[in-house]
Amino acid sequence: MKLTSEQVNDIAIESRLLLTEQELDGATRYINNFLDILDSFKELDLTDVEPFSFAEALECPLREDKVCAFPDTEAILHESEHVDGSYFKVPRIMEE
Amino acid sequence: MELYELSLYHLTEGLKAKKFSPEEVYESCKKRIDSCEENIHAFITRTDEIAKSQLQEDNSGILAGVPTVLKDNLCTKGIRTTAASKILGNWRPPYNASAWNYLRSAGAVLMGKVNMDEFAMGNTCGNSAFGATHNPNDLSRVPGGSSGGSAAAVSAGYVPFALGSDTGGSIRQPAAYCGVYGLKPTYGMVSRYGLISYGSSLDQIGPFARTVRDLQIVMSVIAHYDPMDSSCFREKNYDFTHHENVSIKGKKVALVKEFQDFTLDPAIERAMKKTQEILQEEGAELVEVSLPVVSKYAVACYYALAMSEAHTNLERYDGVRLGYTVKDAAGIKEMFERVRSYGFGPEVKSRIIAGTCLTEPERCEQYYVAATKVRTLIAQEFTKAFTQTDFILQPASPEMPPLIGSQDDDAMKGYQADLYTLPVNLAGLPGLSFFTGYYGDLPVGLQLIGPRWSDPAILEAGLVIERHTGTPEIANEGVK
Repeated sequence: MKLTSEQVNDIAIESRLLLTEQELDGATRYINNFLDILDSFKELDLTDVEPFSFAEALECPLREDKVCAFPDTEAILHESEHVDGSYFKVPRIMEE
Repeated sequence: MELYELSLYHLTEGLKAKKFSPEEVYESCKKRIDSCEENIHAFITRTDEIAKSQLQEDNSGILAGVPTVLKDNLCTKGIRTTAASKILGNWRPPYNASAWNYLRSAGAVLMGKVNMDEFAMGNTCGNSAFGATHNPNDLSRVPGGSSGGSAAAVSAGYVPFALGSDTGGSIRQPAAYCGVYGLKPTYGMVSRYGLISYGSSLDQIGPFARTVRDLQIVMSVIAHYDPMDSSCFREKNYDFTHHENVSIKGKKVALVKEFQDFTLDPAIERAMKKTQEILQEEGAELVEVSLPVVSKYAVACYYALAMSEAHTNLERYDGVRLGYTVKDAAGIKEMFERVRSYGFGPEVKSRIIAGTCLTEPERCEQYYVAATKVRTLIAQEFTKAFTQTDFILQPASPEMPPLIGSQDDDAMKGYQADLYTLPVNLAGLPGLSFFTGYYGDLPVGLQLIGPRWSDPAILEAGLVIERHTGTPEIANEGVK
Protein backbone atom coordinates (compact mmCIF):
# COMPACT_ATOMS: atom_id res chain seq x y z
CA MET A 1 0.00 0.00 0.00
CA LYS A 2 1.37 3.40 -1.01
CA LEU A 3 1.98 5.98 1.70
CA THR A 4 0.64 9.49 1.20
CA SER A 5 2.86 12.51 1.66
CA GLU A 6 0.88 13.31 4.84
CA GLN A 7 1.75 9.89 6.28
CA VAL A 8 5.42 10.34 5.35
CA ASN A 9 5.40 13.76 6.95
CA ASP A 10 4.01 12.25 10.16
CA ILE A 11 6.83 9.68 10.13
CA ALA A 12 9.38 12.46 9.56
CA ILE A 13 8.02 14.39 12.53
CA GLU A 14 8.27 11.24 14.61
CA SER A 15 11.95 11.07 13.51
CA ARG A 16 12.35 14.69 14.65
CA LEU A 17 12.89 15.90 11.08
CA LEU A 18 11.16 18.86 9.45
CA LEU A 19 11.05 18.49 5.67
CA THR A 20 10.67 21.14 3.01
CA GLU A 21 8.00 20.48 0.40
CA GLN A 22 10.66 19.32 -2.04
CA GLU A 23 12.24 17.02 0.56
CA LEU A 24 8.83 15.59 1.42
CA ASP A 25 8.11 14.82 -2.26
CA GLY A 26 11.49 13.09 -2.55
CA ALA A 27 11.03 11.14 0.70
CA THR A 28 7.53 9.98 -0.30
CA ARG A 29 8.80 8.73 -3.67
CA TYR A 30 11.80 7.08 -2.00
CA ILE A 31 9.78 5.24 0.64
CA ASN A 32 7.10 4.05 -1.77
CA ASN A 33 9.74 2.72 -4.20
CA PHE A 34 11.44 0.99 -1.30
CA LEU A 35 8.23 -0.57 0.06
CA ASP A 36 7.52 -1.93 -3.45
CA ILE A 37 10.88 -3.72 -3.36
CA LEU A 38 10.24 -5.04 0.16
CA ASP A 39 6.90 -6.48 -0.92
CA SER A 40 8.95 -9.17 -2.70
CA PHE A 41 9.36 -10.81 0.74
CA LYS A 42 5.76 -12.03 0.34
CA GLU A 43 7.03 -14.51 -2.27
CA LEU A 44 8.92 -16.38 0.47
CA ASP A 45 7.46 -18.74 3.03
CA LEU A 46 8.87 -17.38 6.27
CA THR A 47 6.43 -19.17 8.62
CA ASP A 48 8.94 -21.39 10.40
CA VAL A 49 12.02 -19.25 9.89
CA GLU A 50 13.65 -17.76 12.99
CA PRO A 51 14.90 -14.15 12.93
CA PHE A 52 18.65 -14.01 12.25
CA SER A 53 21.32 -14.37 14.90
CA PHE A 54 24.99 -15.24 14.56
CA ALA A 55 25.35 -18.98 15.05
CA GLU A 56 28.34 -18.78 17.40
CA ALA A 57 26.67 -16.50 19.92
CA LEU A 58 25.60 -19.29 22.26
CA GLU A 59 25.69 -17.04 25.26
CA CYS A 60 25.59 -13.32 25.66
CA PRO A 61 29.07 -12.14 26.64
CA LEU A 62 28.80 -10.10 29.80
CA ARG A 63 31.27 -7.83 31.51
CA GLU A 64 31.58 -7.85 35.26
CA ASP A 65 28.80 -5.74 36.77
CA LYS A 66 31.11 -3.13 38.18
CA VAL A 67 30.97 0.64 38.07
CA CYS A 68 33.97 2.07 36.22
CA ALA A 69 34.57 5.80 36.16
CA PHE A 70 35.15 7.27 32.70
CA PRO A 71 38.66 8.71 32.83
CA ASP A 72 37.78 12.09 31.38
CA THR A 73 34.23 13.31 31.97
CA GLU A 74 35.45 16.88 31.52
CA ALA A 75 36.23 16.08 27.88
CA ILE A 76 32.66 14.84 27.35
CA LEU A 77 31.12 17.93 28.90
CA HIS A 78 33.52 20.18 27.02
CA GLU A 79 31.99 19.10 23.70
CA SER A 80 28.50 20.34 24.62
CA GLU A 81 27.20 23.88 24.60
CA HIS A 82 24.42 22.90 26.99
CA VAL A 83 26.33 22.33 30.22
CA ASP A 84 25.55 23.49 33.70
CA GLY A 85 28.16 22.40 36.23
CA SER A 86 28.64 18.67 35.71
CA TYR A 87 25.27 18.21 33.98
CA PHE A 88 23.83 18.67 30.51
CA LYS A 89 21.11 21.28 30.58
CA VAL A 90 18.33 21.00 27.98
CA PRO A 91 15.54 23.42 27.02
CA ARG A 92 12.21 22.94 28.78
CA ILE A 93 10.63 19.54 28.22
CA MET A 94 7.11 20.21 29.56
CA GLU A 95 4.88 22.39 27.41
CA GLU A 96 3.64 25.64 29.01
CA MET B 1 62.15 5.40 -5.70
CA GLU B 2 60.56 7.83 -3.27
CA LEU B 3 59.79 6.61 0.25
CA TYR B 4 56.04 7.23 -0.15
CA GLU B 5 56.05 4.62 -2.93
CA LEU B 6 57.18 1.80 -0.64
CA SER B 7 54.75 -0.86 0.50
CA LEU B 8 54.05 -1.12 4.22
CA TYR B 9 56.22 -4.24 4.43
CA HIS B 10 59.21 -2.61 2.74
CA LEU B 11 58.73 0.54 4.79
CA THR B 12 58.75 -1.36 8.10
CA GLU B 13 61.78 -3.41 7.00
CA GLY B 14 63.66 -0.27 5.92
CA LEU B 15 62.83 1.55 9.14
CA LYS B 16 63.91 -1.45 11.20
CA ALA B 17 67.24 -1.66 9.32
CA LYS B 18 67.64 2.14 9.70
CA LYS B 19 67.96 2.57 5.93
CA PHE B 20 65.91 5.73 6.41
CA SER B 21 64.34 7.51 9.37
CA PRO B 22 60.67 7.91 10.37
CA GLU B 23 61.10 11.67 9.82
CA GLU B 24 62.16 11.05 6.21
CA VAL B 25 59.13 8.80 5.66
CA TYR B 26 56.85 11.45 7.19
CA GLU B 27 58.32 14.20 4.98
CA SER B 28 57.98 12.06 1.86
CA CYS B 29 54.31 11.25 2.56
CA LYS B 30 53.54 14.84 3.53
CA LYS B 31 55.11 16.12 0.30
CA ARG B 32 53.10 13.61 -1.69
CA ILE B 33 49.87 14.71 0.02
CA ASP B 34 50.73 18.38 -0.59
CA SER B 35 51.25 17.70 -4.28
CA CYS B 36 47.95 15.85 -4.87
CA GLU B 37 45.40 16.83 -2.26
CA GLU B 38 44.06 19.91 -4.01
CA ASN B 39 42.88 17.65 -6.86
CA ILE B 40 41.91 14.51 -4.94
CA HIS B 41 40.38 15.98 -1.79
CA ALA B 42 40.70 12.83 0.30
CA PHE B 43 41.01 14.59 3.66
CA ILE B 44 38.44 16.08 5.97
CA THR B 45 41.04 16.94 8.61
CA ARG B 46 44.82 16.85 8.20
CA THR B 47 46.85 16.15 11.33
CA ASP B 48 50.42 16.60 10.05
CA GLU B 49 51.55 18.27 13.26
CA ILE B 50 50.02 15.56 15.43
CA ALA B 51 51.83 12.93 13.33
CA LYS B 52 55.06 14.85 13.79
CA SER B 53 54.67 14.92 17.57
CA GLN B 54 53.75 11.20 17.60
CA LEU B 55 57.08 10.52 15.89
CA GLN B 56 58.86 11.95 18.92
CA GLU B 57 57.33 9.32 21.22
CA ASP B 58 59.42 6.21 21.83
CA ASN B 59 57.94 3.22 20.07
CA SER B 60 59.43 -0.02 18.83
CA GLY B 61 56.20 -1.60 17.58
CA ILE B 62 55.95 -3.18 14.15
CA LEU B 63 54.38 -0.04 12.69
CA ALA B 64 56.79 2.38 14.39
CA GLY B 65 56.94 5.57 12.33
CA VAL B 66 54.49 4.44 9.64
CA PRO B 67 52.03 7.14 8.53
CA THR B 68 48.37 6.24 8.16
CA VAL B 69 44.93 7.81 7.79
CA LEU B 70 41.57 6.83 9.28
CA LYS B 71 38.09 7.06 7.86
CA ASP B 72 36.41 9.91 9.68
CA ASN B 73 33.92 7.67 11.47
CA LEU B 74 36.67 6.26 13.71
CA CYS B 75 36.94 8.17 16.97
CA THR B 76 40.25 9.89 17.71
CA LYS B 77 40.68 11.43 21.14
CA GLY B 78 40.79 15.23 20.93
CA ILE B 79 40.81 15.20 17.11
CA ARG B 80 37.73 16.33 15.17
CA THR B 81 35.63 13.34 14.05
CA THR B 82 32.75 14.18 11.72
CA ALA B 83 31.42 11.05 9.92
CA ALA B 84 31.32 13.58 7.02
CA SER B 85 28.20 15.13 8.55
CA LYS B 86 27.37 18.70 9.54
CA ILE B 87 25.59 17.36 12.60
CA LEU B 88 28.82 16.36 14.32
CA GLY B 89 30.27 19.83 13.70
CA ASN B 90 33.65 20.09 15.38
CA TRP B 91 33.07 17.23 17.80
CA ARG B 92 36.26 15.95 19.39
CA PRO B 93 35.75 12.49 20.91
CA PRO B 94 36.94 11.92 24.47
CA TYR B 95 38.35 8.50 23.55
CA ASN B 96 40.02 6.56 20.72
CA ALA B 97 38.48 3.77 18.68
CA SER B 98 40.11 0.51 19.82
CA ALA B 99 41.39 -0.22 16.28
CA TRP B 100 43.23 3.10 16.29
CA ASN B 101 44.56 2.41 19.81
CA TYR B 102 46.04 -0.86 18.54
CA LEU B 103 47.66 0.84 15.52
CA ARG B 104 48.98 3.69 17.65
CA SER B 105 50.40 1.24 20.22
CA ALA B 106 52.20 -0.49 17.34
CA GLY B 107 53.73 2.88 16.39
CA ALA B 108 51.57 4.17 13.50
CA VAL B 109 51.30 7.95 13.21
CA LEU B 110 48.16 9.78 12.09
CA MET B 111 48.31 12.00 9.00
CA GLY B 112 44.60 12.74 9.13
CA LYS B 113 40.95 11.81 8.97
CA VAL B 114 39.62 11.07 5.52
CA ASN B 115 36.43 11.60 3.58
CA MET B 116 33.47 9.26 3.35
CA ASP B 117 29.79 9.29 2.52
CA GLU B 118 27.87 10.84 5.42
CA PHE B 119 27.53 8.27 8.22
CA ALA B 120 28.84 5.69 5.70
CA MET B 121 25.60 5.89 3.72
CA GLY B 122 26.54 5.85 0.05
CA ASN B 123 28.82 4.26 -2.51
CA THR B 124 30.49 7.25 -4.19
CA CYS B 125 32.15 9.31 -1.42
CA GLY B 126 30.26 12.24 -2.92
CA ASN B 127 27.57 12.26 -0.27
CA SER B 128 29.75 14.17 2.19
CA ALA B 129 29.18 17.52 3.88
CA PHE B 130 32.82 18.25 3.00
CA GLY B 131 32.53 17.76 -0.78
CA ALA B 132 33.40 14.88 -3.07
CA THR B 133 36.66 12.92 -3.20
CA HIS B 134 38.09 12.22 -6.68
CA ASN B 135 39.48 8.92 -7.93
CA PRO B 136 43.29 9.25 -8.11
CA ASN B 137 43.32 7.11 -11.29
CA ASP B 138 40.89 9.44 -13.12
CA LEU B 139 39.87 12.65 -11.40
CA SER B 140 36.56 12.80 -13.24
CA ARG B 141 35.43 9.56 -11.61
CA VAL B 142 34.25 8.63 -8.12
CA PRO B 143 36.61 6.72 -5.81
CA GLY B 144 33.70 4.61 -4.57
CA GLY B 145 32.31 4.62 -1.10
CA SER B 146 31.65 4.97 1.56
CA SER B 147 35.36 4.64 2.51
CA GLY B 148 36.44 6.54 -0.63
CA GLY B 149 38.89 8.79 1.21
CA SER B 150 40.78 5.80 2.65
CA ALA B 151 40.97 4.04 -0.74
CA ALA B 152 42.03 7.22 -2.55
CA ALA B 153 44.72 8.01 0.05
CA VAL B 154 46.33 4.58 -0.36
CA SER B 155 45.95 4.58 -4.15
CA ALA B 156 47.56 8.03 -4.49
CA GLY B 157 50.51 7.09 -2.27
CA TYR B 158 49.63 9.37 0.66
CA VAL B 159 50.11 6.49 3.10
CA PRO B 160 50.92 2.78 2.74
CA PHE B 161 47.74 1.68 4.51
CA ALA B 162 44.49 3.09 5.88
CA LEU B 163 41.47 1.96 7.85
CA GLY B 164 37.91 2.12 6.62
CA SER B 165 34.64 0.50 7.58
CA ASP B 166 32.32 -1.77 5.60
CA THR B 167 28.59 -2.06 6.31
CA GLY B 168 27.52 -3.23 2.84
CA GLY B 169 30.65 -2.99 0.66
CA SER B 170 32.22 0.27 1.82
CA ILE B 171 35.75 -1.16 1.86
CA ARG B 172 35.54 -3.60 -1.04
CA GLN B 173 33.92 -1.41 -3.69
CA PRO B 174 36.21 1.65 -3.24
CA ALA B 175 39.25 -0.66 -3.09
CA ALA B 176 38.21 -2.05 -6.50
CA TYR B 177 37.50 1.42 -7.92
CA CYS B 178 40.83 2.85 -6.76
CA GLY B 179 43.04 -0.16 -7.54
CA VAL B 180 44.12 -1.22 -4.06
CA TYR B 181 43.49 -4.20 -1.83
CA GLY B 182 40.82 -4.04 0.87
CA LEU B 183 39.63 -6.55 3.43
CA LYS B 184 36.20 -6.61 5.04
CA PRO B 185 36.98 -8.90 7.99
CA THR B 186 34.57 -11.41 9.52
CA TYR B 187 31.99 -9.65 11.71
CA GLY B 188 33.60 -9.81 15.16
CA MET B 189 37.22 -10.05 13.95
CA VAL B 190 38.06 -6.39 14.62
CA SER B 191 36.68 -4.40 17.56
CA ARG B 192 34.18 -1.74 16.56
CA TYR B 193 34.48 0.18 19.82
CA GLY B 194 34.75 3.84 18.79
CA LEU B 195 33.35 3.32 15.30
CA ILE B 196 30.42 5.70 14.74
CA SER B 197 27.53 3.30 14.31
CA TYR B 198 25.45 2.96 11.15
CA GLY B 199 24.06 -0.60 11.08
CA SER B 200 25.44 -2.27 14.18
CA SER B 201 24.77 -5.87 13.10
CA LEU B 202 26.58 -5.19 9.80
CA ASP B 203 29.40 -2.67 10.49
CA GLN B 204 33.01 -3.89 10.41
CA ILE B 205 36.35 -2.05 10.43
CA GLY B 206 39.02 -3.20 7.96
CA PRO B 207 42.25 -2.21 6.18
CA PHE B 208 43.26 -0.89 2.73
CA ALA B 209 46.79 -1.38 1.35
CA ARG B 210 48.66 -1.75 -1.94
CA THR B 211 49.69 -5.37 -1.32
CA VAL B 212 48.11 -8.40 0.31
CA ARG B 213 51.14 -8.81 2.57
CA ASP B 214 50.47 -5.32 3.88
CA LEU B 215 46.88 -6.26 4.71
CA GLN B 216 48.25 -9.22 6.67
CA ILE B 217 50.52 -6.92 8.67
CA VAL B 218 47.66 -4.56 9.55
CA MET B 219 45.31 -7.43 10.41
CA SER B 220 47.94 -8.92 12.74
CA VAL B 221 47.72 -5.64 14.71
CA ILE B 222 43.99 -4.89 14.68
CA ALA B 223 42.45 -8.39 14.92
CA HIS B 224 42.49 -8.25 18.66
CA TYR B 225 39.99 -9.31 21.32
CA ASP B 226 38.40 -6.25 22.93
CA PRO B 227 36.06 -6.51 25.94
CA MET B 228 34.57 -3.15 24.90
CA ASP B 229 32.88 -4.76 21.87
CA SER B 230 30.69 -7.69 22.84
CA SER B 231 30.56 -8.90 19.20
CA CYS B 232 34.36 -9.33 19.23
CA PHE B 233 35.80 -12.85 18.97
CA ARG B 234 37.10 -14.49 22.13
CA GLU B 235 39.35 -17.40 22.98
CA LYS B 236 40.54 -17.81 19.39
CA ASN B 237 43.84 -17.01 17.72
CA TYR B 238 44.24 -15.98 14.12
CA ASP B 239 47.57 -16.17 12.36
CA PHE B 240 48.10 -13.58 9.64
CA THR B 241 51.83 -14.22 9.23
CA HIS B 242 51.85 -16.97 6.56
CA HIS B 243 53.15 -15.55 3.33
CA GLU B 244 55.78 -18.00 2.10
CA ASN B 245 54.92 -21.15 0.14
CA VAL B 246 51.21 -20.42 0.31
CA SER B 247 49.11 -22.36 -2.16
CA ILE B 248 45.52 -22.86 -3.23
CA LYS B 249 46.21 -26.21 -4.85
CA GLY B 250 43.21 -28.50 -4.30
CA LYS B 251 41.03 -25.69 -2.98
CA LYS B 252 37.60 -25.18 -4.46
CA VAL B 253 36.57 -21.76 -5.73
CA ALA B 254 32.94 -21.26 -6.67
CA LEU B 255 31.07 -19.01 -9.04
CA VAL B 256 27.48 -18.20 -8.10
CA LYS B 257 25.07 -19.83 -10.54
CA GLU B 258 22.40 -17.12 -10.27
CA PHE B 259 24.92 -14.31 -10.90
CA GLN B 260 25.92 -15.73 -14.30
CA ASP B 261 22.99 -14.07 -16.10
CA PHE B 262 23.64 -10.61 -14.67
CA THR B 263 25.29 -7.97 -16.83
CA LEU B 264 28.82 -6.92 -15.98
CA ASP B 265 30.99 -4.19 -17.42
CA PRO B 266 33.24 -5.82 -20.11
CA ALA B 267 36.34 -4.96 -18.06
CA ILE B 268 34.97 -6.83 -15.06
CA GLU B 269 33.80 -9.73 -17.23
CA ARG B 270 37.33 -10.01 -18.63
CA ALA B 271 38.89 -9.83 -15.14
CA MET B 272 36.58 -12.64 -13.96
CA LYS B 273 37.76 -14.88 -16.81
CA LYS B 274 41.42 -14.03 -16.26
CA THR B 275 41.17 -14.74 -12.52
CA GLN B 276 39.51 -18.10 -13.14
CA GLU B 277 42.44 -19.02 -15.41
CA ILE B 278 44.91 -17.99 -12.68
CA LEU B 279 43.07 -20.06 -10.08
CA GLN B 280 43.06 -23.13 -12.32
CA GLU B 281 46.72 -22.64 -13.17
CA GLU B 282 47.43 -22.64 -9.42
CA GLY B 283 45.63 -25.95 -9.00
CA ALA B 284 42.29 -24.74 -7.63
CA GLU B 285 39.10 -26.43 -8.77
CA LEU B 286 36.34 -24.21 -10.13
CA VAL B 287 32.85 -25.21 -9.00
CA GLU B 288 29.41 -23.66 -8.93
CA VAL B 289 27.17 -22.86 -5.96
CA SER B 290 23.57 -21.79 -5.93
CA LEU B 291 22.41 -18.76 -3.90
CA PRO B 292 18.82 -18.13 -5.07
CA VAL B 293 17.62 -16.17 -2.02
CA VAL B 294 20.80 -14.10 -1.93
CA SER B 295 20.55 -13.16 -5.61
CA LYS B 296 16.90 -12.15 -5.44
CA TYR B 297 16.25 -10.83 -1.94
CA ALA B 298 19.57 -9.69 -0.43
CA VAL B 299 19.34 -6.06 -1.58
CA ALA B 300 15.85 -5.55 -0.11
CA CYS B 301 16.77 -7.45 3.05
CA TYR B 302 19.97 -5.46 3.55
CA TYR B 303 18.43 -2.03 3.11
CA ALA B 304 15.45 -2.88 5.34
CA LEU B 305 17.80 -3.87 8.16
CA ALA B 306 20.45 -1.20 7.58
CA MET B 307 17.87 1.61 7.54
CA SER B 308 16.08 0.27 10.61
CA GLU B 309 19.35 0.06 12.53
CA ALA B 310 20.47 3.47 11.22
CA HIS B 311 17.27 5.14 12.39
CA THR B 312 17.89 3.83 15.92
CA ASN B 313 21.62 4.60 15.94
CA LEU B 314 21.14 8.15 14.69
CA GLU B 315 18.55 9.03 17.33
CA ARG B 316 21.41 10.14 19.58
CA TYR B 317 22.16 13.20 17.43
CA ASP B 318 19.92 15.70 19.14
CA GLY B 319 22.16 18.71 19.73
CA VAL B 320 22.48 18.16 23.48
CA ARG B 321 25.75 16.36 24.06
CA LEU B 322 27.78 16.66 20.90
CA GLY B 323 28.17 18.42 17.61
CA TYR B 324 25.98 21.05 15.98
CA THR B 325 23.35 22.68 18.17
CA VAL B 326 21.07 25.69 18.51
CA LYS B 327 20.85 27.77 21.68
CA ASP B 328 17.62 29.68 21.22
CA ALA B 329 15.05 26.88 20.93
CA ALA B 330 11.82 27.41 22.85
CA GLY B 331 11.58 23.76 23.85
CA ILE B 332 13.38 20.48 23.47
CA LYS B 333 11.24 19.27 20.55
CA GLU B 334 12.06 22.39 18.57
CA MET B 335 15.75 21.98 19.37
CA PHE B 336 15.81 18.36 18.19
CA GLU B 337 13.94 19.20 14.99
CA ARG B 338 16.06 22.19 14.08
CA VAL B 339 19.35 20.43 14.83
CA ARG B 340 18.49 17.25 12.94
CA SER B 341 16.81 18.98 9.98
CA TYR B 342 19.86 21.17 9.40
CA GLY B 343 22.54 18.69 10.43
CA PHE B 344 21.67 15.60 8.38
CA GLY B 345 22.08 15.46 4.60
CA PRO B 346 19.32 14.27 2.22
CA GLU B 347 20.40 10.60 1.92
CA VAL B 348 20.69 10.24 5.70
CA LYS B 349 17.27 11.85 6.23
CA SER B 350 15.70 9.48 3.68
CA ARG B 351 17.19 6.45 5.40
CA ILE B 352 16.13 7.63 8.88
CA ILE B 353 12.55 8.17 7.70
CA ALA B 354 12.52 4.80 5.91
CA GLY B 355 13.93 3.08 9.02
CA THR B 356 11.31 4.73 11.24
CA CYS B 357 8.59 3.67 8.81
CA LEU B 358 9.72 0.02 8.72
CA THR B 359 9.92 -0.34 12.49
CA GLU B 360 6.58 1.25 13.37
CA PRO B 361 4.28 -1.26 15.12
CA GLU B 362 1.85 -1.49 12.18
CA ARG B 363 4.60 -2.32 9.65
CA CYS B 364 7.31 -3.94 11.78
CA GLU B 365 6.20 -7.56 11.30
CA GLN B 366 5.63 -7.17 7.57
CA TYR B 367 8.98 -5.51 6.81
CA TYR B 368 11.58 -5.45 9.61
CA VAL B 369 10.84 -8.83 11.17
CA ALA B 370 10.42 -10.37 7.70
CA ALA B 371 13.86 -8.98 6.74
CA THR B 372 15.47 -10.56 9.83
CA LYS B 373 14.01 -13.91 8.70
CA VAL B 374 15.17 -13.45 5.10
CA ARG B 375 18.60 -12.78 6.57
CA THR B 376 18.48 -16.19 8.26
CA LEU B 377 17.78 -17.81 4.87
CA ILE B 378 20.68 -15.88 3.33
CA ALA B 379 23.09 -16.97 6.06
CA GLN B 380 21.88 -20.58 5.69
CA GLU B 381 22.50 -20.44 1.93
CA PHE B 382 26.09 -19.32 2.50
CA THR B 383 26.63 -21.98 5.19
CA LYS B 384 25.47 -24.64 2.74
CA ALA B 385 27.55 -23.17 -0.10
CA PHE B 386 30.68 -23.32 2.05
CA THR B 387 30.20 -27.06 2.53
CA GLN B 388 30.72 -27.29 -1.26
CA THR B 389 33.51 -24.77 -1.75
CA ASP B 390 36.36 -23.01 0.09
CA PHE B 391 35.88 -19.61 -1.53
CA ILE B 392 33.45 -17.75 -3.77
CA LEU B 393 34.76 -15.52 -6.57
CA GLN B 394 32.60 -12.60 -7.68
CA PRO B 395 32.82 -8.94 -8.69
CA ALA B 396 33.04 -6.20 -6.06
CA SER B 397 30.79 -4.11 -8.31
CA PRO B 398 29.12 -4.81 -11.67
CA GLU B 399 30.40 -1.51 -13.05
CA MET B 400 33.59 0.51 -13.36
CA PRO B 401 33.81 3.77 -11.34
CA PRO B 402 31.17 6.16 -12.73
CA LEU B 403 31.78 9.80 -13.56
CA ILE B 404 31.25 12.17 -10.64
CA GLY B 405 27.70 13.51 -10.76
CA SER B 406 26.45 10.85 -13.17
CA GLN B 407 24.55 8.88 -10.55
CA ASP B 408 20.90 8.12 -11.17
CA ASP B 409 18.34 10.17 -9.23
CA ASP B 410 16.56 6.93 -8.35
CA ALA B 411 18.47 5.78 -5.27
CA MET B 412 17.04 2.25 -5.55
CA LYS B 413 18.93 1.66 -8.82
CA GLY B 414 22.19 2.58 -7.07
CA TYR B 415 21.37 0.15 -4.28
CA GLN B 416 21.07 -2.72 -6.80
CA ALA B 417 24.75 -2.20 -7.71
CA ASP B 418 25.61 -3.30 -4.15
CA LEU B 419 24.31 -6.85 -4.73
CA TYR B 420 27.82 -8.31 -4.89
CA THR B 421 28.98 -6.85 -1.60
CA LEU B 422 26.13 -6.53 0.86
CA PRO B 423 25.18 -10.25 1.25
CA VAL B 424 28.64 -10.69 2.77
CA ASN B 425 27.71 -8.30 5.59
CA LEU B 426 24.32 -9.95 6.08
CA ALA B 427 26.04 -13.29 6.75
CA GLY B 428 28.98 -11.73 8.66
CA LEU B 429 31.54 -13.18 6.22
CA PRO B 430 35.01 -11.92 5.29
CA GLY B 431 35.58 -10.54 1.78
CA LEU B 432 38.81 -9.55 0.05
CA SER B 433 38.70 -6.95 -2.72
CA PHE B 434 41.74 -7.63 -4.90
CA PHE B 435 43.46 -5.92 -7.81
CA THR B 436 43.45 -7.80 -11.13
CA GLY B 437 45.12 -5.34 -13.51
CA TYR B 438 44.12 -2.35 -15.64
CA TYR B 439 41.51 -1.86 -18.34
CA GLY B 440 42.71 1.26 -20.14
CA ASP B 441 43.80 3.57 -17.36
CA LEU B 442 41.39 2.23 -14.79
CA PRO B 443 42.14 -0.54 -12.31
CA VAL B 444 39.77 -3.49 -12.06
CA GLY B 445 39.08 -5.26 -8.77
CA LEU B 446 37.22 -8.42 -7.86
CA GLN B 447 36.18 -10.09 -4.65
CA LEU B 448 36.95 -13.36 -2.90
CA ILE B 449 34.62 -14.48 -0.09
CA GLY B 450 35.13 -17.19 2.49
CA PRO B 451 33.28 -18.69 5.46
CA ARG B 452 33.28 -16.90 8.81
CA TRP B 453 36.76 -16.66 10.42
CA SER B 454 38.53 -17.64 7.19
CA ASP B 455 40.21 -14.21 6.93
CA PRO B 456 43.78 -15.60 7.09
CA ALA B 457 42.98 -18.17 4.38
CA ILE B 458 41.41 -15.54 2.10
CA LEU B 459 44.50 -13.36 2.40
CA GLU B 460 46.72 -16.36 1.58
CA ALA B 461 44.61 -17.00 -1.54
CA GLY B 462 44.99 -13.30 -2.33
CA LEU B 463 48.78 -13.68 -2.14
CA VAL B 464 48.61 -16.45 -4.74
CA ILE B 465 46.52 -14.32 -7.13
CA GLU B 466 48.78 -11.30 -6.54
CA ARG B 467 51.79 -13.30 -7.80
CA HIS B 468 50.11 -13.25 -11.21
CA THR B 469 48.48 -9.83 -11.23
CA GLY B 470 51.28 -7.83 -9.65
CA THR B 471 51.07 -4.82 -7.39
CA PRO B 472 48.98 -1.82 -8.46
CA GLU B 473 50.88 1.29 -9.47
CA ILE B 474 50.52 4.41 -7.37
CA ALA B 475 47.93 6.59 -9.10
CA ASN B 476 49.42 9.83 -10.37
CA GLU B 477 46.47 11.74 -11.79
CA GLY B 478 46.21 13.89 -8.68
CA VAL B 479 49.67 15.44 -9.08
CA LYS B 480 49.39 19.20 -9.65
